[in-house]
Amino acid sequence: MTDTLERKTLTREQLLDAYRTMRAIREFEERVHREFATGEIPGFVHLYAGEEASAAGVCLSLDDRDTIASTHRGHGHCIAKGVDVGEMMAEIYGRRTGSCHGKGGSMHIADLSKGMLGANGIVGGGPPLICGTALAAKIKGTGGVGVAFFGDGGSNQGTTLESMNLACVWNLPAIFIAENNGYAESTASAWSVASDNIADRAAGFGMPGVIVDGFDFFAVYEAASEAIARARQGGGPTLVEMKFTRYFGHFEGDQQTYRADEVEHARAELDCLARFAARVTETGELTQADLDAIDAEIGAEIDKAVHDAKAAPLPTEADLLTDVYVRY
Amino acid sequence: MGDAVVGVVANPLSGRDIRRLVTQASVFPTAEKASMIQRMLTAFQAVGVDRVLLSTDLGGISAAVLRAIGQRRSQGVRLPEVEFLDGRPIRQTAQDTVDAVRRMVGAGARVVVCLGGDGTARVAATAIGDAAMLPLSTGTNNVFPVVREATIAGLAAGLVATGAVPEQDATTRAKLLEARAGGRAEIALVDVAVSTERHVGARAVWDPATLTQVFCAFAEPDAIGLSSILGQLAPVGRREPRGVLAGIAAGAPRRVLAPIAPGLVALVGVTRVEQMLPGTAYPIEARAGVIAVDGERELTFGPGDQPTVRLRTDGPRCVDVPAVLAASARLGLLVPDVPAPTV
Repeated sequence: MTDTLERKTLTREQLLDAYRTMRAIREFEERVHREFATGEIPGFVHLYAGEEASAAGVCLSLDDRDTIASTHRGHGHCIAKGVDVGEMMAEIYGRRTGSCHGKGGSMHIADLSKGMLGANGIVGGGPPLICGTALAAKIKGTGGVGVAFFGDGGSNQGTTLESMNLACVWNLPAIFIAENNGYAESTASAWSVASDNIADRAAGFGMPGVIVDGFDFFAVYEAASEAIARARQGGGPTLVEMKFTRYFGHFEGDQQTYRADEVEHARAELDCLARFAARVTETGELTQADLDAIDAEIGAEIDKAVHDAKAAPLPTEADLLTDVYVRY
Repeated sequence: MGDAVVGVVANPLSGRDIRRLVTQASVFPTAEKASMIQRMLTAFQAVGVDRVLLSTDLGGISAAVLRAIGQRRSQGVRLPEVEFLDGRPIRQTAQDTVDAVRRMVGAGARVVVCLGGDGTARVAATAIGDAAMLPLSTGTNNVFPVVREATIAGLAAGLVATGAVPEQDATTRAKLLEARAGGRAEIALVDVAVSTERHVGARAVWDPATLTQVFCAFAEPDAIGLSSILGQLAPVGRREPRGVLAGIAAGAPRRVLAPIAPGLVALVGVTRVEQMLPGTAYPIEARAGVIAVDGERELTFGPGDQPTVRLRTDGPRCVDVPAVLAASARLGLLVPDVPAPTV
């Protein structure tokens, strides 16, 4: 087990990885935003742009032993846990080459080989899943942890609160990441979350609860790495609340009449990618050329993902009865 | 409308940072912050405050106070006029506190009560100007704000705002530390610490191995936080016209057991201790790192930034609660049946 200081001092490779993950999520989401407007993407998509520091900052401390459960806004979590962006894009386009062979779509992208238990169309559906995987890790002694991402809407679901209770009762290596982007669809969390800070609910279960600036990769990374290390050492669950704003509507097509200028403010003043770039170039840990190279690489990767997805075949009638039941 | 105006700013995020995870620090509930404001309103009414300006927030404090005021008034409870400072976007950053304090002072508040920890008091101090502040503890690390019953704090703030207690008995001027690095500056009310960490990150400082220097405006033997390193070695009082600084190194032969954060008592190696005189710019010796003000990482610096720390004696005016209530006793201000002597 590394100590606190070592965990916080990120290597050049870790910083490059973190930037690559955040840039990949941003590029992926902005591209899906544009492509969705053409009408070629079936179903709904819920975009994660603006929240990249959360997925990247949490998943940087995870490895192959660990599992995550996501939400309907799941693309960022998938990318941060290592799911292939080409397969993700194909899944969103409903193609046979997709992560779930085109049958799941945006809200059901999963890749168990990466420990990604799935995006989830059920609000509050993720936390019970990671109680299961965390229990398995505890019994098997793998040192693995389960991480559930959920939103401010999900924080009000019984499943989420039951999972926190269970995780505390069983002292599971479980981490609850409340991504509070201010709105459950169009309902303000300031109005709908009774304790106002989701993190405050942790005290009721007897676990630590902290609030983190979700736009700040380094703040997220520090808090998440401490929580994950604590869970690996048998210290039990932690609730971490990220406060930030999503850049797009609840879903693509949302008119967002419930929001004022917060997105413009966040993009201009708080953006996680801009702050990360400014910080690491100022300290000399990375150069602008390093970041530009990643931008170019990611741009090409997402172009290819869209191109390949559009060219890939749709599922056929013969696929209807395959993969209906899956043995884990 | 009378002119006895008090402002109350409450930080909804105080007492919520990573120290709950790494050092088992306490949680200060939102509901208690709202209750403290209500207890203060009762005290303000009792001593004749005309108008109270309250900050607004998305953390539920102002909403809870608004609901409670309506309920209490409907039951016939008399309270001062309360005005919520809304109408501007709330960003959930320290700037909200700065904006609120500035608006309160602009609207004539003679005293601003600040509910938060050291971080909140520090931010409020940048905007308080010549009004007096009364920092009340609801945060994690509380050296500058006092831990005091809100009713008593409310009485003291009210007695100052109404002018019932004369100025010279009511407030003391705090010292402050000014940290500068490459054209940027931050103030601290208690301590400035230099850490070899590279990023602001989760802000709090809890790993003594990263510290290289600590500068203190005051260092009390019973303090919590980084000033406690010097509180046992070379104490300096709040009102002494000097500060103290120390070099920190893990392997130093002189060591002190210091409670550097709630739940964290660490053995800290101290290389040298030096007095700080007001006005002198003391250099930060590390080539690169981050400067923490009152325990929170704020300013990063690198080679060429030539960071310094300077002690100033022109910090915010702060309400001295025991002194105000002692003056009140002397003047019989809370003894309504006895005519008060002329001030």
